[in-house]
Amino acid sequence: MKALSRIKLTMPLMLLIALPFVVKAQDPRLQLSSLDHLAGKANETVDVNIDERLMKMAAKLFSDKDADEREVKKLIEGLKGVYVKSFEFDSEGQYTAADVETIRSQLRRPGWTRMVNVMSKKDGNCEVYLLFNGDQIGGLAVLVAEDKELTVVNIVGPVDLDKLAQLEGQLGVPELGIEKTKKNNEK
Amino acid sequence: MKTISAIVLALLVLSIPVHAGDDDFKSVVKMIEQFYRVKHQGIPFLAKAGMKVGTTAAKIRGGEAKRIAEAGSIKLAVFEDQAFNGDFTKFRASLNGALNDTWMPLIQTLSGKGGEQNYIYLRNAGDKYNVLVITIEEREATVVQVTVSGKNLALLLKDPEGTGKSITEEATINDQE
Repeated sequence: MKALSRIKLTMPLMLLIALPFVVKAQDPRLQLSSLDHLAGKANETVDVNIDERLMKMAAKLFSDKDADEREVKKLIEGLKGVYVKSFEFDSEGQYTAADVETIRSQLRRPGWTRMVNVMSKKDGNCEVYLLFNGDQIGGLAVLVAEDKELTVVNIVGPVDLDKLAQLEGQLGVPELGIEKTKKNNEK
Repeated sequence: MKTISAIVLALLVLSIPVHAGDDDFKSVVKMIEQFYRVKHQGIPFLAKAGMKVGTTAAKIRGGEAKRIAEAGSIKLAVFEDQAFNGDFTKFRASLNGALNDTWMPLIQTLSGKGGEQNYIYLRNAGDKYNVLVITIEEREATVVQVTVSGKNLALLLKDPEGTGKSITEEATINDQE
């Protein structure tokens, strides 16, 4: 009986100790493989995978002496990955709402916030999300769903919108034409 | 007794040093041949046909044009004037399955219209890097493996698509043009 009450007393304490290990930071890397089947229907498919190993390698390779490379080096410092999947189709209706939902459902998880003060110069629906781990940005996702195009860009690591704009056209990140609007509200 | 022999045999097999990825270039060429039922052409054949692949090494050692590959590091297989009919999504899955353990996939582009496929994989090679570029089009394909310096790998990472194309062009350059 004594043992039982001891367990009852120590249980909440154990739970409190264990809690920080249970509540992990949200993973900034999105699972994009659910879109792979679209490659068979797409006219153009681009799949970029720059993982942490490659990022570390890249950070060492870019020289401090060359102005261009110095700029890229500064941009990628701290980044842990760049992943892009982009599909262009000949006609509308080649991808479904369910395909997009496989990505959106990940972006509804705790930590991800949609930036509504961001738009793309391109036509269509462009959604930009940031993952906050506390007050730190842990990752970024861009989802472009146009009639004939579906693009997902996922950058893992501390990245803001200015950095994203600078990364466009580099490291396999497509030209997204991302820009901030004057409204400054987040959802 | 059979069990013991099997264990001994398994241990022997396991003790043989395996250089993972050493023959990946050949494996990829073979995979293309088997999947598309095509045959790659040897360099002497191409040289006779007017495509002076043999001069590539010389060109890489010097000259005015920008060189990406390290001297003498090119492995090249060319498939010319053959039909590459097949489900490229299946081919892509097999390729990734075969290479992803030892190589890092950097960029893959597929074009439905012309059936064009481009794959670039990377791996460490001491203080340098191996780059494997596979290009498959409607009637031709190229597999190129080169060793590049860190500086040139930086170029590749900055512009994977453009530099990947340059590597293939560099390996298959035609002096007569």
